[in-house]
Parts: sequence; structure tokens; C-alpha cells
Amino acid sequence: MTGGRDDQAARWLDAQLHLLDRQVLDAHGVPMAVVDDLELSDVPVGQRIPVDAPPPVITALLSGPVLATRIFGGRPPDSRMQRTPWTAVVEVGVVIKLAVDQDTRDVAWTERWVRDHIIGRIPGGRHIPEREPNDHPENGERGGS
Amino acid sequence: MIISDFLGSRVYGQDFLGFVSDVRFMLESGPVSQEAQFYGIIVSPHARSSSLGFERSGVRSPWPIAALVRWRHRGSFLVRWGDIELLDIDRIQLRPGFERGSPELR
Repeated sequence: MTGGRDDQAARWLDAQLHLLDRQVLDAHGVPMAVVDDLELSDVPVGQRIPVDAPPPVITALLSGPVLATRIFGGRPPDSRMQRTPWTAVVEVGVVIKLAVDQDTRDVAWTERWVRDHIIGRIPGGRHIPEREPNDHPENGERGGS
Repeated sequence: MIISDFLGSRVYGQDFLGFVSDVRFMLESGPVSQEAQFYGIIVSPHARSSSLGFERSGVRSPWPIAALVRWRHRGSFLVRWGDIELLDIDRIQLRPGFERGSPELR
């Protein structure tokens, strides 16, 4: 396949197959973003690459408003893309799991804003659902049906 | 640089060879917490689109879709980082004498 030499123990990740458009979960399993793009370390764009140049690495997962640019072309301004550093990734599978809490990442600011300014102002919006008297005790942890 | 800048880019050797249909990264020993190194690009002579996972060896079903995707991506090959001479927006130039690897993913 891909390699030979010392590549036997390696794990392979194809950008489109394994990374792009994957759901990203934070350390508590809460969905926080989707991978819209990948940021690479220094790549000499438009210049001849020396033969012994080290390969670039993924530095961050990027998330942002890419729907329009995927349809019409172009790319969103860099300032609209939210970075999640690759060092925070702990597992790549059906979803991508991180070691960080979403409350510490800018990428989840819209979730927090909606929670604090809209959901939190709805009566009952600041606590979990209350149990109904006829709820089965086993349903208690979920707050009733 | 971000990866969407060169997914779908045109790839040239001495002549036009195809499009970048995917970019392959390598984790040297498995755990994800280490660096994911750029290993190479998968060049498809006929299609810019992804091969939807059918580049994995042994994936043959559902057969009509597998057959269609394999036909769309016929002649695809992998080019390693060391064989890339120039990366530019919508154009990648390969070094003379570059090697064509198998794009299959195991």
C-alpha cells in the first residue's frame, strides 16, 4: 500500500475519508463542532520545495461558516474560522474526540450564547426537567419521560 | 495553509496528471495525540471528488456504487511528500521521476 520501510506500524488518515465533516466531541462527549478544514504547519506555497524539507503536520482542526463557500466557491475569511489544536485530539473514529471542555473553546461560543441569552431566559430553562409523580424510578436519572 | 486550498488542485508532472482527490497523513505509531504528518497526495486522473472510502482495500459493496466509484477513480495513484516540487493554489508540480504508489488504504 502506502508505505514500505518503517511504515508498518503507522496509522493512516485520509483527510476526506477520516477527518473532514466529522463531528467533534469534547471531553464530556458533548458535540461542539464539525471539522470543516485542516490547518497545516508551514507549507511553502508557490515556491520550490527543497528535497529534504520536512513534511508539514496538521496543526489544527478548523470549523466555520463554510456552507456558502462550498456551494459558490472561495473560502471564508480566516477570522471566521475557529481553531481547535490537533494536540487536543485524543481519538479519531466515527467521531473525533477531544481532551478539552467545549466551554474553554471559542468554537462553541454560539452554543453558549444561545444557552445564556435565549434558553436561560425561558421559565424553567436553567435546570434539568423535573420528575413527574408517576415516573418510574429507573427513569429518575433522566428526569422523567 | 489550509487543506481545502489544494484538495481538487490540478497535478502536473511533465504533463497534466489529474486532480488531488485526497491527502494522506501518517501517525507514526498509532496514538492520535502525536503529530499527523503529511504523507502524500492521492491523484485521480479523472475526478476531483473523494472516493468515498472505496480506496480501502476489501471494500466492494454495495457493488454498483463501488464499481462506479472505482471506475471514476481508475488510474489513481499516491505521490509522497518527497516527490512534490511545488505546492500552489490549484496547481501542484511533481519532481521529475516521481514514484506512483498504490492509493489503497488498509
